[in-house]
Amino acid sequence: MSQTQTRWAVGILGTLGVATVIVLHWMVFFWVPTESTMGIVQRIFYIHVPAWWVAFLGFGLVGLCSAVYLWLGDERLDRAAVTGAEAGMVFTTIGLLTGPLWGRVAWGTWWAWEPRLTLALLLWFIYLGYFLVRRSTVNPEQGKRLAAVVGVIGVLDIPLIHVSVTWLRSLHPEAVILNAEAPMSLDGSMGATIGVGLLAFTFLFASLFLARYTVAGYEYQLTLRDAASGGTQGVGV
Amino acid sequence: MKRQKWVSRGTAALMLWVPLLCASPLWAQAGTRLGLQTLGRGYWHVFAAYAIVWILILGWVISIVRRLRRVEERLSAE
Repeated sequence: MSQTQTRWAVGILGTLGVATVIVLHWMVFFWVPTESTMGIVQRIFYIHVPAWWVAFLGFGLVGLCSAVYLWLGDERLDRAAVTGAEAGMVFTTIGLLTGPLWGRVAWGTWWAWEPRLTLALLLWFIYLGYFLVRRSTVNPEQGKRLAAVVGVIGVLDIPLIHVSVTWLRSLHPEAVILNAEAPMSLDGSMGATIGVGLLAFTFLFASLFLARYTVAGYEYQLTLRDAASGGTQGVGV
Repeated sequence: MKRQKWVSRGTAALMLWVPLLCASPLWAQAGTRLGLQTLGRGYWHVFAAYAIVWILILGWVISIVRRLRRVEERLSAE
């Protein structure tokens, strides 16, 4: 993809993202009814779930790209993996911060060391480790390979987070969207709102992923130039 | 090479403030029975959650734009 095409793709996806975000806010605050048991605080659901969806998407890409990178050694896959990890960290932080704000009202506590919350926090720390491992070696290539191993192992936590509410005793409610026993048990208007939320976050994720991946490509070009000219002003990714 | 601007400052400010201004749960179902339900003063929790989302995403956007400018400046200087 050329530079111009990439800019167009980032712009189009970003515009779609901002437009759907505006529609999402209108739906959340003017259209969808208030949930009968939790009240107004349930509206956090419409950003909390999409944030986790794109976080899992980002880390899923890390796992996939890291596994293929370990096999083929293609630098583009490493750049895609580090971009996915950065996106995953941003959206996991959002999920970990918005969850307690909802839980404080719904459960009466900010945090509980129950399976899903603990595994979600573990995911955040695993990918923090991904970045630390990357920068901890003298040889950058070795750091990339070690980080790829962490990236592959870390993604195994995602299915555990998903099944933790059904397999283990959990304070967190069961899934209402990807639930095999009760598919889409939400009210129609709530289902439509969460659908728009998922779409909005996916567009934003795609746009920002592409932009960040482009920057990682430029940084790699600079590193190669510096290495060729014997300079030391490399830009790490 | 002259640096291209992706978005102007005014557009960026508008993109930030429109979602934040919309994020007022006070407007939702105002006047209805359900709209009066607060259940433990959850209003500021909702506002804080939406503010956190957009502040973190905006922070990531700014960090990407700054890195892009830096590498573009270095690439064009060489």
